Amino acid sequence: MIKFCKRFLGISSMGILLILLMAVPALALEANEYRQFFGLDSRRLVWFIAQMHLYFGAFVLGVPLFAVIIEIVGWRNRDKKFDKLAYEFTSLLSVAYAATAALGGLMAFVLFTLYPTFMGYMAGIFKDVMILYALLFFGETFSLYLYYYGWESLKGGFSFDRRFQLVMKGIGGIILLAGLLFLFGAWGPHMRGDTRAFITFLYMLPFGAGLFLIKDRKSFHIFVGILLNIFGIAIVHMANSWVGFMMGPTGVTEKGDFIGTTWQAFDNHLSTPIAIHRMLGNLAFGGLIAGAYAAVKFIGSRTDEDRAHYDWMGYISNFIAIAGLIPIPFAGYYLGREVYSTSAVMGNNMMGGDFSWTFIMQAMLVGALFLISNYYLWSGMTRIPGAERYYGYIKFMLAIIVVSFAIWLTPHNLPLTGEEVAGMGGSQYHPTLKFFGLMPAKNAVVNLMILSTFFSFLLYRRGNKGERVPISKQGKMPRIIIPIAGFVAIGIIGHYAYFLLTADPKILDLSLDKAVYFRTVGWLLTLQCLSAAITVILSLKDRGIFAQGLYMTTTALSVTPVLGVYGFIVMEKASPFLRNVAVSQFLQLIACIVLVSTIDSFLFKGAKEIGTLKWGKMTVTSQYALLVLAIFITLNMGLMGFIRSGLRSDWHIFGVMRDTSEGAYTPSNYTMTEMVGLATVVFFVAVAFMFWLGAIAKSKAKVASEEVKEELNDTGDR
Amino acid sequence: MIQAIGKVFIFLLILVGLFLGIGRAITNMTGGEKKAAGVVTVSPEGGETIFWGKGRCWTCHSMGDRGSAVRCPNLGVYGEKFPLPEGQRAAERAKEREKQTGLPYTRTDYLVESIGNPSAYLVDGYKNEMAIVYAPPISLTPDEIKAVISYLQSQGGEVDIEAINNPTEISKKYWDKIHAASAAGGGDPGHGEEVFQAACLSCHALKGEGGNVGPDLSNVGTKGLKYISEAILQPSTTFTPGYETFVVIDKGGRKYVGIKTKEDASGVELILGNGEAATIARGDIKEISQDKNKSIMPEELTEALTVKDYQDVLAFMLMQKGKK
Repeated sequence: MIKFCKRFLGISSMGILLILLMAVPALALEANEYRQFFGLDSRRLVWFIAQMHLYFGAFVLGVPLFAVIIEIVGWRNRDKKFDKLAYEFTSLLSVAYAATAALGGLMAFVLFTLYPTFMGYMAGIFKDVMILYALLFFGETFSLYLYYYGWESLKGGFSFDRRFQLVMKGIGGIILLAGLLFLFGAWGPHMRGDTRAFITFLYMLPFGAGLFLIKDRKSFHIFVGILLNIFGIAIVHMANSWVGFMMGPTGVTEKGDFIGTTWQAFDNHLSTPIAIHRMLGNLAFGGLIAGAYAAVKFIGSRTDEDRAHYDWMGYISNFIAIAGLIPIPFAGYYLGREVYSTSAVMGNNMMGGDFSWTFIMQAMLVGALFLISNYYLWSGMTRIPGAERYYGYIKFMLAIIVVSFAIWLTPHNLPLTGEEVAGMGGSQYHPTLKFFGLMPAKNAVVNLMILSTFFSFLLYRRGNKGERVPISKQGKMPRIIIPIAGFVAIGIIGHYAYFLLTADPKILDLSLDKAVYFRTVGWLLTLQCLSAAITVILSLKDRGIFAQGLYMTTTALSVTPVLGVYGFIVMEKASPFLRNVAVSQFLQLIACIVLVSTIDSFLFKGAKEIGTLKWGKMTVTSQYALLVLAIFITLNMGLMGFIRSGLRSDWHIFGVMRDTSEGAYTPSNYTMTEMVGLATVVFFVAVAFMFWLGAIAKSKAKVASEEVKEELNDTGDR
Repeated sequence: MIQAIGKVFIFLLILVGLFLGIGRAITNMTGGEKKAAGVVTVSPEGGETIFWGKGRCWTCHSMGDRGSAVRCPNLGVYGEKFPLPEGQRAAERAKEREKQTGLPYTRTDYLVESIGNPSAYLVDGYKNEMAIVYAPPISLTPDEIKAVISYLQSQGGEVDIEAINNPTEISKKYWDKIHAASAAGGGDPGHGEEVFQAACLSCHALKGEGGNVGPDLSNVGTKGLKYISEAILQPSTTFTPGYETFVVIDKGGRKYVGIKTKEDASGVELILGNGEAATIARGDIKEISQDKNKSIMPEELTEALTVKDYQDVLAFMLMQKGKK
């Protein structure tokens, strides 16, 4: 560990020096200079190294996110099993972290040496951010070092001095308060709303809460874990500000003054939307790579005890991945919308231009992720006594997901030959399937697919639950929390309903007579608010199951058949409004997940268990499902990176610095699959090698500790 | 365990192989690498290549049954909403535009306007979101735009290259913008005007408006790209006669730097860099000199100016050819 810290710090220091030496003023109009390394294609070289760095980085930043949460669960419930699992997840990081740092250093050197003009320009603008970025790695390294190696020594023990605890709580409280004030704009520089929320929820509130928690060694260890994540998130945020700038450069105030501050460059249109998307992606990716580790261990296990442990680890990993996967389409939609707002040319190229077929491939991969995650859950129900009651639902959910999947990946038209066009009556569009290729149909089915996955989870959760404790007999807590969840759900939908009921169609360059389309959707959302209110009341009156069913049904009906069909009308009559229809669908779904999950947590609280979960009683096929998930998310991540980067077409910095190299073109999808496929195989080989190294280190440590014990015993005997 | 890992890697290779197969099949179906090729022949064939290639028009517009974009109006015959192809529709739209503005629009004028200023006359039900195609990132040249117009005319209408090459007064103002943008390396003069108003107008006059610290720029476009570019990036290398920088130090040691607007027996009057006038009485002057190496125009402008703003301002400046 110390070695890799030294190596990392060495690389970082050289990187900083290089950046400083190459920083030039922000205006760089001279011709671009391009170089090669031993005649290799520079573009492909950078692509491969960047992809490898991102894979390792995503894993290294994703795992601590859930390792800390699992540790907190174990700490609060005094369950050592969770603590052990959190430690096992963290142990996967040690070698991967060194590889990430080495690849990051390699990427920086390759970029600076092969693309000197471009990197000089970037370093001129981002020199402050780049140096801060490198310094943050010190924080990340030391907190990881302390978190991993301090696990045993910071376990349990006596409580800290009361005055010390009070001071920590005081500082934590002040930071929490400052965070809330910051969220509402009471202080801080001018910035985008999403950046403000990102800083509040991912930096300030966790930091304040972490300090607030400190009372003994274990809670201090958790605080270190939180710090580790804060450093990691800040690193992601900063790196994303560079790629965001390359896609949507900023540097002038809204008045058009030539200011061009570092902060403005950092807080560009896309840095935070990309960071949000990447954070969720890292969570899902980290979960699925850890799941693949558990699956391989399960397949190779020789004892029932090992199989039970790795089955459980795989289940938790998949659970985490799905928790990250469910909101990703929303974050992706938001990112896409911001890309479109930044440049309509780039936005159109994304969904309807060069990358439309890449998106079909992405739809295949994401659809497969949802389908296989559900399959894994359904397989898991076989180890739950009592879950047989719900087997009947599986075929319906399977049908819904398969049909939704098929619609989602249907293209609008196909590149056909003249004969084929003649065979379809002279049209490139299939008479029926052409509708499935349009956005209203795709928006409708993606929501249904997410809702079905959520339903699978609900069934899984209640698999072995028997007689329930009525909510009315659970004291005050549900009577407080469920209405709050109801208010949140109504707030999510209601604010948008209000906007649609009062909005002037001119904001979308539409005539006043198009207001009817806004109002129709606004009233539909108002009805959904009513449905949420009824759901809350029924839940508090011990009709929770019915209430959940009611709300999920109204949501499913509203987002899929109603708004799905209405979307086609909107597209015909008031096309720009279609984006708002999509937002209303997503908001209803989020509200549904929030409210139904909250009710569910009370509905089965204290319920009798029908039987004990039989961990380890899983088929080997289900473990291959976990592996497919890990491979598909890796391929998908590479594919999405290709789209995001490729949107700039022949620009290094969109609209500002043109790519004048030989590589200034959009590669084919086949080239993309070659590059991403190669990076995926190399990544998995490297990960397997690192896990093997980790296992060797562990077994050596175990042997050494046994030898020490034996020696001590011998000394004692003598 | 080694056996398990071996199985997993065979599995991995199969899945990656499948991924490669799908990528290859899609590439075979849709074509390979997409280089942004430009064409300079002003003809419908050239325009078709631009429309479906470098111009990226196809990402928003379909042409009848060709293409799949629905974001912007279909430019061919498509359903009840678009019964006429663009070649004929342009004539109808020109008539509507004539009625609306009282100006004698031709179908070519309508097409030039819809590219030169897309927000001028929107198709009902569509948002004002068309890109300025002669500005980055698309940066079509004037000939490429002419080719696209001829391609649109060829959709059910008569191609009139003569009308495209000899613009009317209505079209001419849009062509001026397009030519200026092209000369400035693809800058957007519309945005350049905003930047100019925010940063330059307080010192420079334009068509009777603005400050008098620097020279009037109403005719600067005639001086060419190189002159304007140097004047912005290295203001001290080019001086307009009458705008030399003077330095006056009074007996109290106070230093005034500005453009000399008046000098007589009573004293000297300067316009300072901030636009304010300063009068120094003859008796108070300790020293007066002309700084031949320094312009009053801020040198640091280049550090604050983004490259895009610079290109946009350049395009806007190139359009200033003395017309009020």
